[in-house]
Amino acid sequence: MTTPGIEDPTQTPSLKPPLQSTASPRDNEPYAEDVQKVLKWQEGRIARRLKGEYESAVVHLTEVINSNLHTPISVSSVRVEGAPNTRQSFIGSLIRPILSECTSGPQDLESVLHTTRKMSRRLHETDIFKSVEVRIEEARHVMADAGAVDLVFKTREKGRFYLNTSTELGNEEGNASATARVRNVFGGAETFEANLSMGTKTRRSFRASLEAPLSSDLATRGELSAYGMERDNTAFASSFETLRGLKASVRTGSSNRGLGMHEITYEAVIRHIGAFAPVASISMRRCAGQTTKSAISHTWTMDSRDDRITATRGHYAKFYQELAGLGGDAAFYKVESEAQISRSIWPGVSLSWGSRAGLLWSLRDKPSLFSDRFQLGGPTSVRMFRHNGLGPRDGSDSLGGDIFWSTGLSILSSIPQKPHWPIKIHGFVNAGRLDNVDQSRPLTSTIRDTLTRPSVSVGLGLVYRFDPVRVEVNFGVPLVASKSDASRKGLQVGMGLEFL
Amino acid sequence: MSLFPVPTPLLKVFALFPLYSYPHIEPPSKKPLEEPTLWIAPPCADLESGVLSSDVDCLKWQAYLALKGLVGIAVEWDVSSQGAIDKKLPNLHVPLDGKIPEPEDGSLLAASMIPSWVADRLTSTDEKQVDALDGYINQAAKDESLAWTTMLETRVRAALLVAKPPPSYLQSLLSLTYGDHDTDPLASITTPPLPPLTGYSSLVHPMGSRVNTVAVESEYREAISALAERLGTDKWFLGSENATVLDALLFAYIHTILHSKDSIRVEVTRRVNLVAWEWRVRGVVRAAFHKAPK
Repeated sequence: MTTPGIEDPTQTPSLKPPLQSTASPRDNEPYAEDVQKVLKWQEGRIARRLKGEYESAVVHLTEVINSNLHTPISVSSVRVEGAPNTRQSFIGSLIRPILSECTSGPQDLESVLHTTRKMSRRLHETDIFKSVEVRIEEARHVMADAGAVDLVFKTREKGRFYLNTSTELGNEEGNASATARVRNVFGGAETFEANLSMGTKTRRSFRASLEAPLSSDLATRGELSAYGMERDNTAFASSFETLRGLKASVRTGSSNRGLGMHEITYEAVIRHIGAFAPVASISMRRCAGQTTKSAISHTWTMDSRDDRITATRGHYAKFYQELAGLGGDAAFYKVESEAQISRSIWPGVSLSWGSRAGLLWSLRDKPSLFSDRFQLGGPTSVRMFRHNGLGPRDGSDSLGGDIFWSTGLSILSSIPQKPHWPIKIHGFVNAGRLDNVDQSRPLTSTIRDTLTRPSVSVGLGLVYRFDPVRVEVNFGVPLVASKSDASRKGLQVGMGLEFL
Repeated sequence: MSLFPVPTPLLKVFALFPLYSYPHIEPPSKKPLEEPTLWIAPPCADLESGVLSSDVDCLKWQAYLALKGLVGIAVEWDVSSQGAIDKKLPNLHVPLDGKIPEPEDGSLLAASMIPSWVADRLTSTDEKQVDALDGYINQAAKDESLAWTTMLETRVRAALLVAKPPPSYLQSLLSLTYGDHDTDPLASITTPPLPPLTGYSSLVHPMGSRVNTVAVESEYREAISALAERLGTDKWFLGSENATVLDALLFAYIHTILHSKDSIRVEVTRRVNLVAWEWRVRGVVRAAFHKAPK
């Protein structure tokens, strides 16, 4: 019995508000007054708990897998679900080589998991699946071995039809284009693409191509294309050039991996030079008319730059050779090379060196054709010269040349205090020459003359990264030039994808 | 004129550059022009002369130059008609005459400029006096020449165009010539205009032209008959003492017809006076030209 007013020490004391908080802040709990902070803290605590549980489960699963890696398991069958538009034979051609690799070695959990990963990656590489999920299930087949499993790939195909219209700026011209693409046309990761474009320099162009993988590892691809275009060359050659051609190419490798990318192409093209301006030169008028070219070419490309527009490390190399004369009017051997190396020399400052060279050797006792010759000069090649303003000229027309080289050294720097801005400062020195090849003289003599008489320019400018295009505004002058060169003193604006 | 004029001090600085200049890089196949050169459409492969164009318009101007008494004119047929002024051959490439500043390699004249160039070359007073009547014996002959010119340029030309074999399907498919598909040469010389191949009321845009070949051939036969009769045994057409523009025109058509399909050639070959006249004039025209050196 308890006497009123006197508390019994054996009983729980009765609670009387206001109560005092007796909780000690063990987990950085916020004060209860700030509800938002409490909510945030609570969410964080739940997330941490879930993450912990997930990591524990992963660790546990890893332990289970690691301890069973050598458990004998064989693959009974592989099923790919959710690919109604893809041919079974094509999927089989992707999977079978990987499966045979698996069955030729030890059959255990480790090999099955590796096989599963390879198959999943291969399916992703086809670029026809939006998602690929994998399950390893107990084998369904009644005749399956004990411990055999089925690999089940649950996929979702990407949309097959794509239509796009766009306006683009680049390589000193602007254009508007419409592109239609059909993916997985015949159920074997083939892509059909048709493109129609109208622009300021390439007035009209169309291109239709069908690309398909040729090997089961998808590293080799083939492409058939038909194209046509009309180029406005009035700015440097007082004429228009129309082309219509067919191209078949086989491409293997990747430009940024291993030994680079190789491409072998056969091209048959009709070219037409016409629609001359009244001021066209006699030399240019002599180039008028229709010519044909049938040629086979090889291109090798290697690109390890960290960025294509404003690279700070890595290198880029390209080698191109072409043999024309398998029928048609053009008969020549053409070789072109391009290299670029970029290095960071100071935080925010990089040095870039680029070089291009080419030779066109006519295989008939006739001068090379205008459409095949090289052109040089302009903001994307040798700066402070007009677009295609170097080399042999007749009046205001650049006739092109058979041999050229060009090189450029650039220092690219971020704006002080603003390294994140897409605009950079650069200084450059460019040099190059485009010349004729007189086949009655030794080639070494021609090369020596070409190398020892370069046109040189220097300048400073701003570079704006306008993905995927690089825009430059430069101020510079030509230091050395041939009297026939068309130079540009003062400001020059350049827009393009590839710069020297 | 630029929107923002460059300040004068800056222009002075720019004038210093380039600091050093190499000589001109000359075009690979450019040579100084030493003689007048007529750009023509290629001659027929079977022609023994080798310098007379297979195109009636080019041959017309070749005959004009030759019958005006000019000799030593080179011809070349490597240049496509697309490279000619207004895409029409012939063009006359003439060297510097020292009177006006011209490009180093001379200047290129369209066919319509050839008479004035010829007039400059012919300095004799007699020539200029004859030019008042354009070489005809009197004003009536001059007036009559217009009718013959019209007949040659319409009826005879139409027959030549109809007889010309059309390009093969492959040639048409691979041809990339600019805008030449829009103009039908036959439609441009026919009055009234030829009706289109497709119906006026069809949904398809009217295209092509419907040619009444029977009518064209009938008019052609009449024209050749009239020409042979009017020429008779005269040395020059319309009884002129010297060759006229009409003689050049007549020679071009008769020569081209003689190297065309049998269907139209037979109308000329059965008229001995026309064949003999063409043979005589051909010798004069051929002698005036030589192939330009490569």
